[in-house]
Amino acid sequence: MIDLSVNLAGIQLKNPTILASGIMGVSASSLKFVEENGAGAVTIKSIGHNERFGHHNPTVYAWEKGIHNAVGLSNPGIDGSKDKIQKSIKILKIPFIGSMFADTISNFVMVAEKMAVLKPAIIELNLSCPNTADDLGRMYASDVKMTYDVISSVKKVVGNIPLFAKLTADVTDITEIGKSAESAGADGLTAINTVSGINIDTKLKRPILTNKVGGLSGPAIRPIGVRAVYNLYKAVKIPIIGTGGINTGEDAIEFIMAGATAVGIGSGIYYRGIDIFKKVTTEIEEFMKKEGYNSIEEMRGVAHKN
Amino acid sequence: MNTEKPLILPIKNIITENERVKTFVFEYEMDFAPGQFVMTWIPGYDEKPFGLVSRVPGEFMITVAAVGESSKALHNMNVGDLVGFRGPFGSTFSLPEAGSIALIAGGYGMASLFNLAKEAREKGIDVHVFLGARTKEELLYLDWMKELGAILHVSTDDGSEGYKGFNVQVFSDVILAKAGIQTGSPNGVGDDKVIFTKAYTVGPEIMEMKVADICYQNNIPFEVSLERYMKCGIGICGSCSVDPVGWRMCAEGPVIDGEKLKQITEFGKYHRTASGKVENYPWNKD
Repeated sequence: MIDLSVNLAGIQLKNPTILASGIMGVSASSLKFVEENGAGAVTIKSIGHNERFGHHNPTVYAWEKGIHNAVGLSNPGIDGSKDKIQKSIKILKIPFIGSMFADTISNFVMVAEKMAVLKPAIIELNLSCPNTADDLGRMYASDVKMTYDVISSVKKVVGNIPLFAKLTADVTDITEIGKSAESAGADGLTAINTVSGINIDTKLKRPILTNKVGGLSGPAIRPIGVRAVYNLYKAVKIPIIGTGGINTGEDAIEFIMAGATAVGIGSGIYYRGIDIFKKVTTEIEEFMKKEGYNSIEEMRGVAHKN
Repeated sequence: MNTEKPLILPIKNIITENERVKTFVFEYEMDFAPGQFVMTWIPGYDEKPFGLVSRVPGEFMITVAAVGESSKALHNMNVGDLVGFRGPFGSTFSLPEAGSIALIAGGYGMASLFNLAKEAREKGIDVHVFLGARTKEELLYLDWMKELGAILHVSTDDGSEGYKGFNVQVFSDVILAKAGIQTGSPNGVGDDKVIFTKAYTVGPEIMEMKVADICYQNNIPFEVSLERYMKCGIGICGSCSVDPVGWRMCAEGPVIDGEKLKQITEFGKYHRTASGKVENYPWNKD
């Protein structure tokens, strides 16, 4: 009997696929739609300290090797999102992950406190949005000390809700950031966020995104994500959600073999449809059957042995 | 056209429809089906969804009212200036095999319905168009619809052309007249007695709501195009998902059939803004 379930920092998932933050997570209905399509857990689009409308379009488009976006963390703010979070938790049968961000540490604490009251299964700190430097400043996850300070402060107000930190590969050494997060009390890591990039339209002679810089996702970044998870797995003991360009069961297994406990899926919805969660789970199961694995656990980190 | 990076095209021709509305023509064979839209990039301003129109092969058009910053910027552009397109995106209208269809269009809705009318006429289906606008000047595509051989039922708010009142009223009057019910209304007099095989509506949501009610009451199958705030157009951002089913109006929509519409409880009540916050329609007192 093949067991597809995973235990993620004490939270039980029926399968390892998680809807990544920023994708489809605008409403409770949208998250429910993703659940119906097979996800093991879902992440809400990051909620911040105040309402944001994001950048003007173009904010998202597909290019030859992936998706490129600079939405700009649009969200109704934590006070305007209370109903949505409550409703999501109420109608979902799978774990709900509350993604959040803020500008200052005190606002991080304020948002986390308000979110913790609503009892999400996990709180994920988005410390690595590459598209909001103009008004939110430098990414917290670009610096060891900033990462430590924000996580240790938030950790004090979230009680026993597992706290994850979403990291970026756009740093000299992601393992230093990962270790800092772990020592500050993070219960898990999510790696990686989108990778910063620019595409220029040569006819218009200007960057395509209104924000010019945006985060690359999709197949182009998968090896970058696998490398990050591979190195983090060696550096920390806390579980990792591996994210970045997962389109197939094999892609997910790469991340699991690198050391991920669960996998985030986002852009893959564009490539394989909303039911990608079902498809990937089925493909993982088929692989396990063929290769003689009985549990996800048995595959975790095996790439480190060879 | 694929759905990848924006396709950049020069404006081939600009048709001034009236003081506020212009139609922009582009030379490109856009492979779309009636009801689909393109994300239209006005460089330096914004990117917005517009219904696709094509009258002749090798050309497509969008019709745009100057209502916001980006549409005003587009209005200020000239022939030869460059615009970007992603698409076509979204679900499509479907025609019956034969019979008589009703198109109920308000605002700029006619843009999304033009090619449906064209295809229907090519299949030999009778097309009744209930075209409503505030004034005579704002009636869109009137000559083009006549050219197709559509049966026009025109109404204006100020009575400057056709029936003085709403197109929804005309639609209702014609249905009653077809059913042989005397209403005393001038609408539908002398019309044939064939009840519509199917109806299609695009326009302000309050109008679409009323059309939906009339169709449910008279058991007329129908399709509606539902507009929601869009960012990606490719089904991943979730901005245009509707309650409580979560369907994306850029993927499962914008064209929704009457039976499925019953499941979209936010229809006619509220929508979401660019931040994702719920905003009630002014007439919704729930």
